[in-house]
Formats: sequence, C-alpha cells, structure tokens
Amino acid sequence: MTMPRNLSLGLFFAALAVVGLVTPGFQLLAVNQHLFLAVNVLALNFCLGLGGQISLAQAAFAGLGAYGSVLLHDRFPEATLVIVPAVVLGTGLLAAMLSRPMERLGEGFLAMATLCVSLVFTNLVLTLESVTGGSAGHMANARLALPLLGSLSGDRATFFCFAGLLALGSYIFLALRDSRLGRALAACRGDAQAASSLGVDRAAVRSLSFGLGGGLSAAAGVIHGHYTGFISPEQYHLELSLKALLFLVIGGPGNLLRPILAALVLETAMSWLSVLGDARTLVNGLLLGAALLVGYWRASR
Amino acid sequence: MLALYLAQIVNSGLALGAVYGVMALGFSLIFSASRLINFAQGELLLLGGLTIMSLASVMRLPPAAALLAAAAAGFVLGRALFSTTLGLTLRASPLRQLMLTVAASLVFQGVAILCWGKNPLMPPRLLPLPDLRLGLFFLGRDTVTALALALATVVVLGLFLGRTRLGRALRATSQNAVAARLQGVDTVFCHALSFALAGALASLAALAVGPQTGLRYDMGLGLGLKGFAAATIGGYTSLGRVFAGGIVLGLAEAAMVLTISGEFKETAIYILVILLLVVAPREHDERP
Repeated sequence: MTMPRNLSLGLFFAALAVVGLVTPGFQLLAVNQHLFLAVNVLALNFCLGLGGQISLAQAAFAGLGAYGSVLLHDRFPEATLVIVPAVVLGTGLLAAMLSRPMERLGEGFLAMATLCVSLVFTNLVLTLESVTGGSAGHMANARLALPLLGSLSGDRATFFCFAGLLALGSYIFLALRDSRLGRALAACRGDAQAASSLGVDRAAVRSLSFGLGGGLSAAAGVIHGHYTGFISPEQYHLELSLKALLFLVIGGPGNLLRPILAALVLETAMSWLSVLGDARTLVNGLLLGAALLVGYWRASR
Repeated sequence: MLALYLAQIVNSGLALGAVYGVMALGFSLIFSASRLINFAQGELLLLGGLTIMSLASVMRLPPAAALLAAAAAGFVLGRALFSTTLGLTLRASPLRQLMLTVAASLVFQGVAILCWGKNPLMPPRLLPLPDLRLGLFFLGRDTVTALALALATVVVLGLFLGRTRLGRALRATSQNAVAARLQGVDTVFCHALSFALAGALASLAALAVGPQTGLRYDMGLGLGLKGFAAATIGGYTSLGRVFAGGIVLGLAEAAMVLTISGEFKETAIYILVILLLVVAPREHDERP
C-alpha cells in the first residue's frame, strides 16, 4: 500500500532535483519564488490538512522568520547556526501559543482571526519603522553561512535549500500523519466533539500541528528573506496566506503532493499571465474559481 | 481645544462608522442565513459605487433615483455573487465556499480594473444634504449623508425583516434552516435573497463613502474587513447592535487617529477583533 506513495514522492523530488540542476540560474529566480510558496502550502497543510484548522496567518509566520533572521544577522553576522534554529523555534512556539485560545473558533471565525494576525504583523512592521525600515523595506546584507558549507547564496543553492526544506517538511508531515498523534489530529478534524469525548486534548494536539506549520513557514521565510536581499512588508502580506490557502484547497487538504504540485503548476501558469497586463487580476480570479469548482464537481461525482 | 478635538472625532467617526455599520449589516445577513463569511463584501461596494458613478455621468440622477439605482445595482450584483459562489456549491465544504468568495472578489476587482482603470475616481455627491451644527458638534455634509442613509437603511431593513412574510422566512432560515425548510420555506431562495440584500446595502454604502474617500480598485478588502470587525463587535444577530458596532468602530478609529497614530490604529483594531473572537461566547460557531 505504501509503495506507490513513496514512489510518487521519490519521482517528484527526483524531478525537482533535475529542474534545479538543468534550469539556467536566472530562471531559477522565478522557480524559487514558487518553491517558497509551495513550502508555505505544505506548512498550511499541517494546520488544515492534519488538524482541520484553517489559517491565514502563514504570511505572518514567514514574515517573522524573514525579519527575525535578517535583523539578527545584522547584529551577529556569524551566528547563523544559533539564529536560524532560534527564529524557527520561536516562531513555531508563538504559533502554537496563538492557536491555543483560537482552537474552539468555527471555520469562518478562525479564518478571520488568523487573517487579523497577518494584518497585525504587517501593521507592526509598518509602525516600528526605526527597526524594520517600515514600508521602505530593509536591506538584507548578511548571508546565511554554515561552518562546513560556507555561505548559502545564489539561485541554485537557494533552490536546493527550499527543496530540502520541502523534503524535510514532507517527511515530518507523513511521519506525523501515520502516528498516534496524527490519528488524534484526524479525529479532531473529523468530529471535534467526538474527539474530545474520547479523551483527545484538542487544544494541545492542534497547537502542535499549528506550531509545526508556523515553524516551517518561518524556515521558508528565513531562506527567502536572505535570498531576495531585501525584505519589505509586501513580500509577507496577506496575499501570500490567501494564495497558500487557495492552492491547498485546490489540491485537497490532507494530501501531500497534490497541493504542492497545484501551487507549482498554477503559480507558474499565473506568472506567464503577466503578458495580459491589466486583465491579470480578472483571469487569476477566474482561474482559481474554475479550479475550485472543478475540484468540487469531481469530488461530488 | 479639547472640545474641538472631540467634535472632530465625532464628525469623522460617525461618517466612517455609519459606512462600517451598513457593511456590517450585509456581512451579518449573509452570515446568519448561510453561515458563510463573504470575502467579496467590499468588492460589492466597489462595483456598485462605480456603476452608479458611470450612470450619473450619462444621465441626471435625482436623489431618489440615485438611491433606487444603487439599491437595484447592488441587488443584481449580490444575486450574481450568489449564483457564482454559494449557489453552485451548496453542498461543498464551508472552506471551499469561503475560498470561492475570495476568487469572486478577485474577479470583481479585475472587472473594476478593466472597466474603470486603476486610478482613484471621485464620484459626485448624489445626495445633497447640508452641513449640520448641533451646539458644540459640527457634522459635515458627508457625515450627514452617511448617517441619514445608514439610519434609513437600518429602519427599512428592520421593517422588512420584522414585518413582512419574506423577512420572517429569512429570519427563520437563519435561526434553523432545517426547521424552516420543513415549514415550507425555500431556504435556497433565502440564501440568494441574503446575498442580494447585502449587495444592495453595500451599494448604498458606496453612495456615502464614495464622495468621502473616492473609489479605487483595491479598497474592497480594507472596507470589507472593517465591516467584519464591526459585525463581530455587534455580535451578528441583532440589527441594532450590529449597526452600533459599526458606529463604535468608526468612533474608536477616529479617536485613535487623532490621539495615537494612524498606523497603530490598524494594529489595535485587528488585535481587538482577535480578542473579541476568542473571548466572546457564540453558539453559532459551528455550522448546524
């Protein structure tokens, strides 16, 4: 039973590696942006696919990772080994803590509450201008540097960082899904009240999945922030959260590969649409609406 | 000096608050009837306002005709939103329905960009009301327009929901859809009606907000969120309380702009919404 899944996963990552090796450097720039989104889709899959909790706060967590790491590297340029785990863990913990009181909110209200988390992050970055550079953004001069590998910069190195993160995230996702904890999460997703009455501590298990998702987004943000060399609130705006959620819903929450593929394929298609100029927003909306409807009709047949 | 500050806060707060209140009513109507949070609420206002503006540029619109045209345009837009989102996916998961309204908001925005461009447009004042001075307080004509429009809307909507057969059917659907269906209420029609009414409300709000801030293709999300925040403060169920939520939000916002800072105000409002959502007990959290 598990063989086909492992096979498709292996094929996917092999294809990804080939893309990374063959594509010319300058084109990897666009691919890396799509991969950043794909990692966020996977991160959201922890909350929504495993725990059944919608989150629009993914952009805030990615932004926290980016801003945290870049600002700390400005102070301590050599301390990548300390800063990155601290930022990722810190963001994950924050996400877990945030999710605890929100656990009992219904779907729509949880969406709105987490959307507000994203907006609070954006507005805080704008307000704390002296630290973050405000709307003008902040130059990220320091690079991530590891003791043996040296500095991680350039398109190809970043590509493999993102691909590695995606692989690590996928591994954790699958391990968690097939564990006792994963079954508890599935119970929460299926019927929250039944799960509680069976003795599942809903707030605790769900805050774990939420925290893992937050940490993964933060890790993606760390790589992205140092890669682009410039961080601004627009990069980690609500749009990122909405996109991640759209692709996850299109690919089906709880599936591992399909949402990631949906993100990579549709996002590439949508970036080609830039030739459409002003009609782009309209076509984007139609494309996403169509994808949502097709998924619904296929599922209901 | 303090009195001047206070008068200023009341003036701009009421102008904003009335608009938020009307938006919040639209939110609550759809949410109560279908348990769906409509992300495209702000875009309904945008397209409604732009349509009326174009109509006013080709023909003379007396105030009564402007009101009617706005309500009709919004009604049609809301109905169209229903038949492209919830109407197609009545049995889908709430999440998919929610995401469809997000896609719809993108489509509406795209239409606004294609037909009216990306520059902010200043619609004319179609409801000529004078400035008002009440002792210490001074209400500008925008504020008077917004307040009068909003109060009239609340009264008409209250009469409709409380006194007519259709309004009672709508309320029955929002209280218990299954029971309403058993009593012979066409609940799908009621869902559609709630969308259409929300569209009409948003379009009417555009008559008030357009001359204040102008209309721009990307204004929808912000206004929609404020409407949601106001509806959350008001608690979704009572017409009066939801509208009062809008007024409170508008006044609080105006007070924060003048006392603290414009940017911090947004942070404070969104934190307040999170706290309200977490703290306020609500029986309708889960879909029945």
